Amino acid sequence: MNKVDKIKILYIDDEQNNLNGFKATFRFDYTIYIAVNTSQAYEYLNANPDISVILCDQRMPDKTGVQFFEELRDRFPDPVRMLITGYTDIESVIDSVNRGHIFRYIKKPWTDNDIKSAIEEANKFYLTNSLLVAKNRELQSAYDELGKFAYSITHDVRGPLLSVLGALDLAKGISNKDELFDLLEMMAEAITKLDEYIKNTHEYYKLKRGLLQFAAIDFHSLLGDIAALFKIAGRNNNITFTSKVIQNESFYSDEISIKMILNNLLSNAFNYQRKNAGTKKVDVLIEVIENNLIITVSDNGIGIHEDHIRNIFEMFYRATSEETGSGLGLYNVKDALNKLDGTIEVTSEINEGTTFKVTIPGKKHDAK
Amino acid sequence: MTQNKKLNFIVIDDSKLDCFIAEKIIRNTGKCEQIRSFLKAKDALEFISNSSHDDQSRTIILVDIQMPIMNGFEFVEAFEQLPESIVNNYTIYIISSSINEADLSKVHNYRSVKQFLNKPLTSNNLSVLVG
Repeated sequence: MNKVDKIKILYIDDEQNNLNGFKATFRFDYTIYIAVNTSQAYEYLNANPDISVILCDQRMPDKTGVQFFEELRDRFPDPVRMLITGYTDIESVIDSVNRGHIFRYIKKPWTDNDIKSAIEEANKFYLTNSLLVAKNRELQSAYDELGKFAYSITHDVRGPLLSVLGALDLAKGISNKDELFDLLEMMAEAITKLDEYIKNTHEYYKLKRGLLQFAAIDFHSLLGDIAALFKIAGRNNNITFTSKVIQNESFYSDEISIKMILNNLLSNAFNYQRKNAGTKKVDVLIEVIENNLIITVSDNGIGIHEDHIRNIFEMFYRATSEETGSGLGLYNVKDALNKLDGTIEVTSEINEGTTFKVTIPGKKHDAK
Repeated sequence: MTQNKKLNFIVIDDSKLDCFIAEKIIRNTGKCEQIRSFLKAKDALEFISNSSHDDQSRTIILVDIQMPIMNGFEFVEAFEQLPESIVNNYTIYIISSSINEADLSKVHNYRSVKQFLNKPLTSNNLSVLVG
């Protein structure tokens, strides 16, 4: 078994000999921390939050093992607690087991096998519990998001539909061709917005359910594909687009996620331009340095007000009335970055522009 | 409110199309003196707080709920903070695509909001408010 995968155990006993003997016996099987008193035990627990099993002797000078476990239940609820005790203390032990303070007790004198099987059982219990906690957290957040989606349907889906319905009703009474044409144009915009919302929702779902696939990424070709599309958009809207890639080493990560991140940041940079600006610019720089991917996307567009900047990654948050955002784009970016252990920084100035800097650590190829 | 007096309108909606529809339908009633649309609630609020009503004419405000930066409810809350001499000249209708119960019941909490109207605005449901 790999060293990092060893079960971490804390053993507290006021007799140094017991501690030494325990460590000598089990040090090859487990990572063992030994403490002669409870304050030393707390130091270990603070420094090692992943200790999964705690063994404690019942008879100690400052407090009993049962008392110690009672305190521990509030301060460190996760590790599994096991008491080591002689037969004479059995009344307090039974009481403690019944009140849920300890998982199991080990009778003195113990054999190596008693300890081993108890530890294996305790660790199984610990793993199941942590899994359950993690699953519950996931479920809660999925449930919260579902609520937000249900609410957004009435606005982001029903809104454009009702707009178009209203426009159709209105159109019946319009005979002027130009006026009708303007109306059609606006209807098309509303439907594009709806489509945008649906595409982003699909992206959200793909991201949530999809598994990451790590492979070597060639950023010259990846950016080349994406840039070609944005170049056309740039030409149509008078936006100068420059892109640059510096990659002299191989980089392993999930290409679909990185494409999604790039697409979102770029389309924001292209969309949130100042309408009447003389020179509109979007720059993207992709660098791979020492197994880190750094993507910098900057524009000289409308900028984001400092009051809104901390909220822009929230689901359905929109920081501007300009343009048609779904409120999902940057949320998806953040979500993908969480999966890839990446980070994102934003600097922005109103009417000056915005720069997003994304950093993603590469996956080690051999560690796969 | 006298029946034949003409009304002023303010439409606040972040959707250009919805503003356009509202303007059109309001104009078609023939009972509208003046109409202004705002894509941002903040701009509307500023316009209203600087407005002077020496002719005692009334203005109807149609405001959407879900808008970025300042939503319809935030707008109404800020509006109710304005001096009474201004507030009294306006009647607010909330117009939204929302079918969310929390949104609908929230409307009753504001003294300045007369009624909730469903989108899309039609000459039918508009006739209710112009009389």
